[in-house]
Formats: sequence, C-alpha cells, structure tokens
Amino acid sequence: MANQYRLDNILWALGTVAFIAITSILIGGIAKFLVKLRGFSETEQRKAFWGALFAGPWISGFFIFVAGPTLVSLYYSFTDYKLGEPIKWIGLDNYRVLLSGNGTYGERFKGAMFNSFYYGAIGVPLQIMTSLGMAMLLNREVKGIRIFRTIFYLPVILAGGPAVLLAWRYMFATNGGFVNVSLQRFADSFFLFDYMYRLLIYVVESLNGFYIGMAVQGDPIGPLKYTFPALLGLLLIGPLAFGEWNDGKRSRAFRTIEILGLVLVGILISRGLVSNPINPVWTYAFSLAAVGIMVLNAREQKWGIVRACQIVALTLLAISFVMTLKAADFDPSAGSKYLIALLIAAVPLLVPFFGEWSARTFKMMLIAAVVLGLIIFVLLIPGQLDGGRLGLIVKYMTLQSAIKHPQDQTYLEDVFPFDTISTLWFYGLILAVAALAGLLHERYPQQRKLFLYGAFAFFALLAISSFIDTRHFFQDFADIAKANGKPNYHFARFHQFTDEFPENRRVPFWLTNDLWSKPSLILITMWSSGAGMLIFLAALKGVPRVLYEAAEVDGANGMQKFFKITLPMISPALFYNIVIGVIASLQTFEMVFIIRTPETEKSLMSAAFFLYQRTFQQLEIGQGSAASWILVVIIVALTAMQFRFSKWVHYEA
Amino acid sequence: MKRKSFLFLTIAVILVLSAVAIPASAKETAAPSQPAVAAQDAQTLEIYITGLTEDTQNWFRDTIFPAFEADHPGVKLEILTGGWGTFDTDVAGWITTGEGPDIVYLGSEYAATYGKLLADMDSYLADWEDLSNFLPAALETATYDGHLRGLPLLMSPRPIFYRTDLAANPDAPLPTTFAESLAFVQENTVVGDNGVEQQGFMDIGGGLFDAQEFIGYIWSAGGELYNEDGTSAFDSPATAEALQFMYDRRRAVLPTEDTPGLPPIEGTPLASGKVVSGIFPMWNVPPTSDPIWENVAIGPYPAGENGQQLIQVFIDWLSVPEYVENKELAGEFLKFIGSKDNAIELSKVAGFTPVRTDAWDDIRANDPVWDQLLGLAQEYGRSFSDIRASAELRPLITEQVTLFLTDQQSLEDTQANLKEAYDSILEANGYLE
Repeated sequence: MANQYRLDNILWALGTVAFIAITSILIGGIAKFLVKLRGFSETEQRKAFWGALFAGPWISGFFIFVAGPTLVSLYYSFTDYKLGEPIKWIGLDNYRVLLSGNGTYGERFKGAMFNSFYYGAIGVPLQIMTSLGMAMLLNREVKGIRIFRTIFYLPVILAGGPAVLLAWRYMFATNGGFVNVSLQRFADSFFLFDYMYRLLIYVVESLNGFYIGMAVQGDPIGPLKYTFPALLGLLLIGPLAFGEWNDGKRSRAFRTIEILGLVLVGILISRGLVSNPINPVWTYAFSLAAVGIMVLNAREQKWGIVRACQIVALTLLAISFVMTLKAADFDPSAGSKYLIALLIAAVPLLVPFFGEWSARTFKMMLIAAVVLGLIIFVLLIPGQLDGGRLGLIVKYMTLQSAIKHPQDQTYLEDVFPFDTISTLWFYGLILAVAALAGLLHERYPQQRKLFLYGAFAFFALLAISSFIDTRHFFQDFADIAKANGKPNYHFARFHQFTDEFPENRRVPFWLTNDLWSKPSLILITMWSSGAGMLIFLAALKGVPRVLYEAAEVDGANGMQKFFKITLPMISPALFYNIVIGVIASLQTFEMVFIIRTPETEKSLMSAAFFLYQRTFQQLEIGQGSAASWILVVIIVALTAMQFRFSKWVHYEA
Repeated sequence: MKRKSFLFLTIAVILVLSAVAIPASAKETAAPSQPAVAAQDAQTLEIYITGLTEDTQNWFRDTIFPAFEADHPGVKLEILTGGWGTFDTDVAGWITTGEGPDIVYLGSEYAATYGKLLADMDSYLADWEDLSNFLPAALETATYDGHLRGLPLLMSPRPIFYRTDLAANPDAPLPTTFAESLAFVQENTVVGDNGVEQQGFMDIGGGLFDAQEFIGYIWSAGGELYNEDGTSAFDSPATAEALQFMYDRRRAVLPTEDTPGLPPIEGTPLASGKVVSGIFPMWNVPPTSDPIWENVAIGPYPAGENGQQLIQVFIDWLSVPEYVENKELAGEFLKFIGSKDNAIELSKVAGFTPVRTDAWDDIRANDPVWDQLLGLAQEYGRSFSDIRASAELRPLITEQVTLFLTDQQSLEDTQANLKEAYDSILEANGYLE
C-alpha cells in the first residue's frame, strides 16, 4: 500500500515537471516565432527563445493560478452561483444589488465600503504620521539605535498574529484594561489632563456617532446633508476668490473640477447606471461634470483627454439610454421623462463634433449645459421646483433657515428629508462655479472676481444656516421623544453619547462599542507602522546634509527645514507609503475577523470581510465575486488618481 | 546542430516521462467529480476533524483507525485536521472542486448550509438497529430534507448555571419565567463607580447578546422561526417577547450604554466570583470534580408567557459529502465510531457527551453534575437544528438585534427588518415558492 502511494507521488511529481518543461518550451517557441515575424536576426530569435523558456514556469503558473481564476471570477460575478447549485447568468444584477445600496446585502456592502474608506481616510494619514515620526526619531545617532530600530519594527512581525490581537482585546478591555487604566491614571494626575482626556472621548464619540448616523445607518439626517457640501464649496471657492489670480489658482480650479467630476461620474456609475430608471438630476449632473472636465482640459491643451472624456461620457449616456428603454420594456412613452433627460444631457457633449475645437465651442457647450439643465429642472421634474425647493434655497440664502418644524416625528423622519435639496446639486454648483471662473479669468477678470465672491457668500450662508437648522432638527427629535417617554432612535448613537460632556469616570469603550471599534482598529494598525517607518528611514538617510546646512546658514528654523527640505526630499517615499497604505486599508481583513464582536461586527466590517462572508460562509460565489471586482476597480481607480495627482512628488533626490 | 540535438533529446525524454505520468492522472480527468479517494486508492477514507483537542486526534489515529483497519482489511484511514477559523474556506474549496475528505466534521447548524451538498445516507444507516439509541434531537441535527446526511458524534447541552453562594437570596427557587429571570438578574447585579462589579447574568460570548440564545428564547416564548407556509415568523409576539426580555436583561446589567462592563476575567466566568448566572459551554466551566459545583445549580432557559422552558442542545456530527464515491465504506465507519463502546471512549477523551442515551449510564452513575445535566437535557432538550440559510441568518440577527439592544432601533422596526430580510433570504435560497 505504502509503495503505491510513493509511486503515485513520484508519477505526479514527474508529470508536473514534464508539464512545466513542455509549456516552457512552447512559450519559448511562441516567443521565437513572434520575434521572427518581426524580422529579427537568428541570434535575437535564440535569445527570445531561451529568455521566454526560462520565464516559462512563472508565465504558465501565472496563467493557471492567477489569470485563469481571475477571469473565472469575472464570469462568476455575472452569475447567480451558489455553491452546489446550477450557475445562472444574471448579467449586471449582482453589481446592481451591491452598488445600489438597497436591500440587505446592498446596505451591508455600502456599510462595508464606508468602513473601508474610513480606514483609508483616517487610518492612513495617522499611520503615515506615526511612521514618519518614528523614522525621524530613529534617524539620529544615539547609542543603541539599532536595538531601538528592532524594537520599533517588531510589531510589524507580530501585529497580524491572532495571539497579539487577542492580547489587544485584553489591553482594550473597557473596565480594568491596561489602556483605560493607564489613561485614567494619566487623567487623574492633573486636572487639565483629565479635561483633555474627556475632551478626547467626547470628540471621538461625536465624530463616530455622526459618522454612523450618516454613512452606515442611513438615517435621515436632514440639513446636515447639505452642510457638508456647502463647507466643501467654501473650502474650494475660497482660495479662488481671494488674493491674486495666478497659474496656481487656475490649476486649483482645474483640479477641483477634475476631482469633483470624477466623484460625480463615480456616483453616477454606482448609483445611476445600475438603478433604472435614472433620475434626470443624476443625468444632468453627470453631463455638467463631463463638460467641466472637457473645458478645463481643453484650456490645458490636452486634446486626447478631452476627446476621451467626450466619448466615454456619450457612451455612458448611450448605455443608460438603452437600459432605461429596457426597463420601460422598450416603450419610449413609458420612460419619456428619463429618455428626454438623457438626450438633453447629451447635447452639450455633442457640440464639439461640429467645427473646430475652439474657445467658442466650449462656451457653447457651457451655455448649452446650463440652459438645458434649466429645462430639465423646470419641465422634467414637475413639482420639485415649486414652492418647496426654490423657497428653501431662498430661506437659506437669507438666513431664515431656523424654521420651526412641526412637532411630529413622522414629519421629521419621512417628509423633511425629502424637502431638502439633493447634495448633488451643490457638487454640480461648485463644479460650475470653478469652470466659469476658469473660463472668465482672462477676458473678464472683474466679473470673475465678483462671481467668485458671490459664490463664496452663497456657500458661506448655506453652511451657517443649514448648521443652525440642523440643531433645530435634532432638538425636535429629542423633544418629541421626551414628550412621548420613548427612546430617541433618530441618530441614536450621536445623542446617547454626546448629550452631555463625559463625566470624570468615563472611559473609552474600545472594542465593545461601534463608536470606538474603528478607532481601535486604526490604533492597532498604527502600532505596527514599522514597515512604513523603514521606508521613511531609508529616504531620510538619502537627504543630503548640505541642504540643511545651507538652510541653517539662511536662518531657517526646524519647521521650515522640515516642510521645505525634508518633506519634498522624501516625497517619493511618502507617495509610496500612501499608495500602499490606501491599498492595504481597503483590503483590511484579518483584524476585523479576529477582533469583531456581535456589537461591533457591523461597524468593523470591511469590504474584504464582506466578500469573504458572502463567498466562503454563505457560499454566494456570484455576489462575492462581484464584490471583489468592485473592490478591484475602486483600488485601481484610487491608485490611478494618486498617480494622476502626484505632481508634488519630486524624484530629483 | 549539437544544440538542436540536445533540445530534441530533452523533449523526447520529457514526453516519455509525461507518458508514464499520464495514466496516474488520467483516472481523475476522466471523471472530474470523483473524490480524491478514487485518485489514490478506492479503499482510503479521509476524515476531517475540526476543533477537537490533540488528545482526541491522537485517539482517532492510534486507537480507532487501527481497529477499523483491522476489521476492514485493505482499507486505509487518514485524518485531516483544521480549526473553525478556516473551516468555511476549506469546505467551500472541497465542494467546488469535488475533491476532499470522505467524512467531514460539522457543527450543529450546518445541515441547512451544506445539506444539499451532502449525501443521503439513509440506505446505509436507516436500518442500523443502534440508531434507536441515539438522542432523537441529535439525529434531527444530522437530517436534511428528511434524510440522514451523517451521524451525530458528540453533544453539548447548554443550560443556565447559577452560583447559589453568590446569589442575594441563595434559597430562592431558580427562575422559570422571563419575569423571574429578569428579577434575578436585577437583584444580583452590582454596578459601582467604575462600572459593573458583579454581573447577574452572562451569556456565552460575554456581550449580553448571542444569536443562538436569541433563537432559544423565541422557542421558549412559545414561538418558532417559521410559519406554516415557510415564511419567517420574526413578526410573531413570541419574537417580540424574546427581544424585550433580552433588552430588559441588558438594561438590568448595563443601566445605560455608557456603563463599562465587567473587567476581564481570568479563568472560567463561573469560578470568577463575579458572575452569578450564565450560559457557558462545558469546556468553559470548572471540571465537574471541582468543589465549586456544590454551590452551582443548573436550570433550563426561562419561558415566556405562552412557552415552555428548554435547554439548547448543540450536536457535532460527521457528515458524508455528496462527491464521495464509496459512501458505503463511509457509512461503515460512521457505524463503527458511533458504536456504544467507541462513543463512551470518545466522550472521555474529547470532554463532550455521547449522543447515545445507552452510553450515559456510566457517566450518570459516576458524575452527579453530568447526571443532572443529562437529565435536564432529556427533559428540556431541543436541538439547534432546522435553521434555514443559517450562514445568512446569523449576521442578520446580529446586526438587527444589536441595533435594538443598544437603543438604536425600535422593537417594531427590528421585527419588521428581521422579517423582511429573512423572507428574502429564504426566497433566494429556494425555501419559499
């Protein structure tokens, strides 16, 4: 019996070797043939053959173990495939469910994506700061520095291990855990420390309570929905409106439009294209974004991007048109409202097909976009512009937003949020303001300035008034709940923990509460920032000492040396750490798997954990594959964006 | 020329070697759905064991396997081991490829998850006379769609343990209803300046919420998970009663959501002196020979207004996947490991209870704790089975009930969300017409 096993193993091993050898020779032969076709000499052909032959094992392995499964998973993503059941082709349904954010799994995926972005947006900067700080500390000639470096690097090896993560669970225990006991002693040592400690608790709980209400729980949050776009408008328009107009500002306008345009396109693809029929508002915003990107790229003489943008935008509109028709069973009258909106949105994008690329063409495009947008507004969305919406805008503009809501919870939950204006309009507005400013600045500098001042004032009033209104909105919920003697479920976490400033015995709830679970995970990640530290340390070693000496001679202080010399000189390392950090944060899995509890499972669930759960625990291979492809596309898009906006990176060093 | 000849010769040698190797692999390519056992030897049985101790695995290797091989000449047994952490990915991989162990160790609720992918073992086991000695609740666990998919191996009853010496009123009878249980928890919980100092009740995970326990309370409130038409019954009054009980119990321990819980416990919660009652698996309580058991009372779950008390019984069982070719041999092994003598031996090594009632005599005679536990299991036991689409249900319950227990969602919304989402899951999984 044992001999039979041995023989089987030997035959399998020999067969594998033979397979690798034959495929390698075939790959070599193909390479030789291709080189021969291109007319290269006999020597070059031989070189190609042997080169490809030795790369053959890796190439065949790549196709069998990477490319093959990848393509199969792409196929599965378009199917309803539950393990053990027949595979059924369902087209884009999996993507539609996940991207629409509706239904149990749409909502769960949306929450998981928000959590992953949280890890990226908050975790990566903190991790970068920690690793850079550590690297700067270790970049000194101190006795025993190598031991320190080893100690600081050690967590990288230990951090992902289940034993260490379980140790963190003990350290983060709410009552009697090492972290809380230490923080409490620190706070008890001096009254100011106590205040700082409680302030930290208050800030973390407020921010996370708000985040849970806004992003994950999907509660109606009323005016806050447009406080943030208004603040964003202030931040973006402000620097354009004040001071001298120069190339830097023109560039900022360009970047603003590009980023917001991409965001709008992303939103449209994720929410609009996959949910039929498409809201005309989305269609118009998309068209405006495309026009904005085209106008500003044309000003940069980037005709390739302009043409690509035009073709992509028109293609997406054409796809939307067909999908809308399909949703209406190919009866144009049934979906007329949406089809007309799509056709109108396509008009400004079609303008450049007639005549030369010129400033006039782009002005025509902008005018067409604005005029046709108004038509969509007035004709295609009946009832949305009357009284309510326009009236609301006026109220906000005139600081009359502190309206008294009816004392009825149903109204607050259901009716009021629908009275509020879609935040998308404000993103579109910011985009239009920046595009017009970019266009006006050469010929009509004065008008451009007035226009920007006006826009700035508008966004400022909007931000202030909507914030005031938000307070009333929340207070009304609390009042109604109090009057009814029932708990206030609206925006519950925010209220529970932020009604009062924390008492002096309050402690963070780290791993047992959804307000603290994400910060806890980020803290554990920061503890293992040694990998980034190593990269920064190598980069810091490469900064020439002479630059600091020259700066010192000129009287530069420490901060100036850091921001003017160190940071630019290590920018390639910084860029690398950011790219890798963002990718790693979007793939967060092991920590979630180990440290989650029933109370924190939802708040910790990352996109990678979601696809694991759907694929391997619930055996829904089709939807799990779709989730993994969405994650791939997001990671690739974010990485491409980082490379696209990486002019701040200096490789001269 | 020399180089070409060398190349030619190399290819020739490789082709010859491939030709030799092909017959071994050809068996598999001819029938891709055949199991690994067919590829190596038709008389080889691979058995996958999850989450059992090293001693138990050695018992399989050194005692059971040689005995079975001696009874079945020409048969070779192999053990594959793994943890619950990689269990899902391992099993999914085997089922996808149709290659894997012949016998797979499964937990209590997995019949519904993998049921369609497991073999109908009725023709090999149904006529086995020993089957009548198995606890009916255990057989229920290993049954899917009316057919046995394997054989129960071990069981773990999950009652509530009470530390009578810590209780405020040691002589009071054990709570039997939700209301009495709530009063007990309130009476025995102590909250100090830094948080909870003594906990009147602790659940199995320590977070005052467990999805399996929630299902247990729906049952003990007189409800079921499914209506007669197969739709979910989460909108039932029994579910509402169970939810309200769990909420009130949480508030009895944690008056507000910003009350810190107990400090970390070293050792078992029951022996910590800080927990007065709780639900724990037998591996997380002191050995039954410990003197502490003199002060421990054991009782079933409390009941709702229209329900009855119960004890959840969790069964670990051995299943046979559909892809296995030699199901008869797999069935033979199941009968062998499930025999009375082997069941008793296994329970001693693994620290669990046998699922055969005729194997209990010895245990009950020698161990008063187990005697009481098994008596209660017989009287109140309900197996944790027929949980449809369990892999999707658990995260749904966790998500929705947590929102309710932490004051983020009303009772009505929780029930409505549970009902709506679970109905769509049941429909997607083919449980509803």
